[in-house]
Amino acid sequence: MGTDGEQVVPESSQTAVQYELDPTFVNSRREAIVIFFCWFVAMCWAVPYCYFNGYNIADPAEIPTTFGIPSWIIWGIGAPWLAADLFTTWFCFCFMKDDELGIAGDEEHLQENQGGEE
Amino acid sequence: MLNSLPVLLGQSQSGNAVLVTFLIYIVAVFVIAGLSNKLLQNRNFLSEYFLGSRGLGVWAFALTLAATSSSGGSFMGFPSKIYSHGWVLALWIGSYMVVPICVMGLLGKRINQVARTSGAITIPDVLRDRFNNVTFGLISVALIIFFMTFNLVAQFKAGSEILRTLLGPIDAFNSMVDSMPSWFSSLTSVSADYLFCLVVFGIAVIVYTTYGGFHAVVWTDVMQGIVMVVGVIIMLPLAINQATSVIGEKDSQKTGMALVTAEMAEMLPPRFGEATLSLATIATEDFAIPPGTWIWSKDEAGDKLRLFKTRKRYVIPQGTSDVTEAEVLEIVSPDDIQRAEDLLVSIQHKSTPRLSGLIVTAPQTKKYVSGADEPGAFVTAPGPHRENPDGFLPLSLAISFFFMWAISGSGQPSNMVRLMAFKDTVTLRRSIFTVALYYSAIYFPLVIIFCCARVLIPGMESEPDRIMPQIAVVLTENIGMGWLAGLLIAAPFAAVMSTVDSFLLMISSALVRDIYQRNLNPEATEAKIKKLSYIFTLVVGFGALLGAMNPPEFLQDIIVYTGSGLAAAFLAPVVYALYWPRANHQGCIAAMLGGFGTHLAMYCVGFLNGDGFTPYRLLGSDPIIVGLVASFVTGFIVTIKSPPPADSIVKKYFYKKVEG
Repeated sequence: MGTDGEQVVPESSQTAVQYELDPTFVNSRREAIVIFFCWFVAMCWAVPYCYFNGYNIADPAEIPTTFGIPSWIIWGIGAPWLAADLFTTWFCFCFMKDDELGIAGDEEHLQENQGGEE
Repeated sequence: MLNSLPVLLGQSQSGNAVLVTFLIYIVAVFVIAGLSNKLLQNRNFLSEYFLGSRGLGVWAFALTLAATSSSGGSFMGFPSKIYSHGWVLALWIGSYMVVPICVMGLLGKRINQVARTSGAITIPDVLRDRFNNVTFGLISVALIIFFMTFNLVAQFKAGSEILRTLLGPIDAFNSMVDSMPSWFSSLTSVSADYLFCLVVFGIAVIVYTTYGGFHAVVWTDVMQGIVMVVGVIIMLPLAINQATSVIGEKDSQKTGMALVTAEMAEMLPPRFGEATLSLATIATEDFAIPPGTWIWSKDEAGDKLRLFKTRKRYVIPQGTSDVTEAEVLEIVSPDDIQRAEDLLVSIQHKSTPRLSGLIVTAPQTKKYVSGADEPGAFVTAPGPHRENPDGFLPLSLAISFFFMWAISGSGQPSNMVRLMAFKDTVTLRRSIFTVALYYSAIYFPLVIIFCCARVLIPGMESEPDRIMPQIAVVLTENIGMGWLAGLLIAAPFAAVMSTVDSFLLMISSALVRDIYQRNLNPEATEAKIKKLSYIFTLVVGFGALLGAMNPPEFLQDIIVYTGSGLAAAFLAPVVYALYWPRANHQGCIAAMLGGFGTHLAMYCVGFLNGDGFTPYRLLGSDPIIVGLVASFVTGFIVTIKSPPPADSIVKKYFYKKVEG
């Protein structure tokens, strides 16, 4: 059996049981790739921007400010932080799938009485 | 003008508030532990005690993860760094913008599913069952115990130090310490007040963790998480308002934070060094000089006053008139000197640490290696630094910290365990969103608050770890609400407590579940497991407490080493285990040992180079980056060079049966 394919895989001709990649795994992997990309973009924005605008300033005593904070902090960290929060909101409520996680043996007897707790 | 010079914490209103808050806090923690213990009834003991029966909802899951990640460093070390290095700390902490989505989203859904599929309760459980390999489980247990034990001792010490910082100046506390029998202080070479705080902190956290288990830890984390965010939200407007009031008269063109930033742009880093502290006459009795005492002294030409501050407590013995080689700090920013003098005059009636008749002679102070005599060092990168000529945050370290917080955080077993405990994916989605808002409300505001603190409290580089409690007292006393300081000061204590309890439970679970039940006695009864869980948690806790009674040097370095070492060892094998069907135990063991060994090698090379506990930085990078790269590459190569895993395992964790 291939270990990376996503096709339906027959277990054997005798039992005729077939398998497909677990959708929870597929969705998790897709979401993890997007998250890693998000982290990479955040780093590519924040670090270079701060490097070119916050390091080796010619006249630091007259540093430009936005909302009273050094502008290189606002646009290098504050703005991407806001963007990251907006991205996180979109990711959590529009992109991430609700998947079945299964039931562990130790929680089977709890299922009848409760559905977890807040 | 506002009273913003360091007054002694603990006088009257503030001191009582701190004590009352602390007592209320401890009582609440024990109540929560009692309620949690009730949950242990009628449930699978191990799953409930170590994993909360996999039933955490949004608030519990979000806040326990947030609070566990925010150790004492967030409320003591981080403010201290902001105060000492300025605005560049926003870049240092910048990757927290993606920490929630990375730490919870990268592995969360999948590790929860795999843990349920295998019935795993601990991280070694997950690795052992995923590959059906006992050796892998034992290696991961050994690494967890190795790293966590050192870290636990260090965290106990941190907890004690924080408590001592908070309660130290309170008269009632000092009376209690003084009344301790002599055998008590003879238990250790460290001071009696440290030992007293260690015992109080240690016993509280050991008892509630042992008695209540995972749910006690989680719900105290929730309470602690709320305390932290409320503290920050209260301090932010107070700090901005009071800082701008202090400097408002100087520049009518600017308002709000612009005033604070402009003031910081003119500041110069202080100078550190040694001096002789002298009295004009022979002391007729021992003359105590508290830490943080302000002393004016004329320069050699005698025409200019210089302002010094002591960094430790010194005593001029009876019959002498001076003490030599006293550690001092010299304030050199003209505005800081002026503000300090104005405020010293304005609060003379209070018990400030300023002693008359004391002078500084033969001061030998050194400038910062980076940022000295350069106005603007506190508002630009890389920030001033006493010893590093490249400054506080050179570019290579800025990149390293983007790895450190987001990626290293994902590789912490203490976070992974929590990811195994949420109820369903709806909970996970909402929790990621909640933690993102939570961190946004804490970390960026902390940078603003402690930049304001530079203006409000000059000269705190002498005791930077005290800046958090000090600013809490100053902010609240300036608005006539000293009692509020108690709530604000509870935040760092809550932060370190929430970290310690999680680590304690992790070590205990490794011993009970991973070693005893799964290897020594798989048929052990639940009653026996229960008894052993209580015993091991108690023993591990008191063992760490004993270790912290005589703490080794370099504890802060040990915390950094263990945090990054755990990530270097665990992240790659867990990622491969969760997302790569071809992964096998040979490759993942190689990844774990490769990451651990490479990371350790960086520290060994640094040690052999004579740098003590400072690691060797390959290409200027933190060892975490080298360790992670080595771990992922080693794991990949060994995996593809060794046989694929059994079909049955791959099917169990990556495939599902299709109906019909």
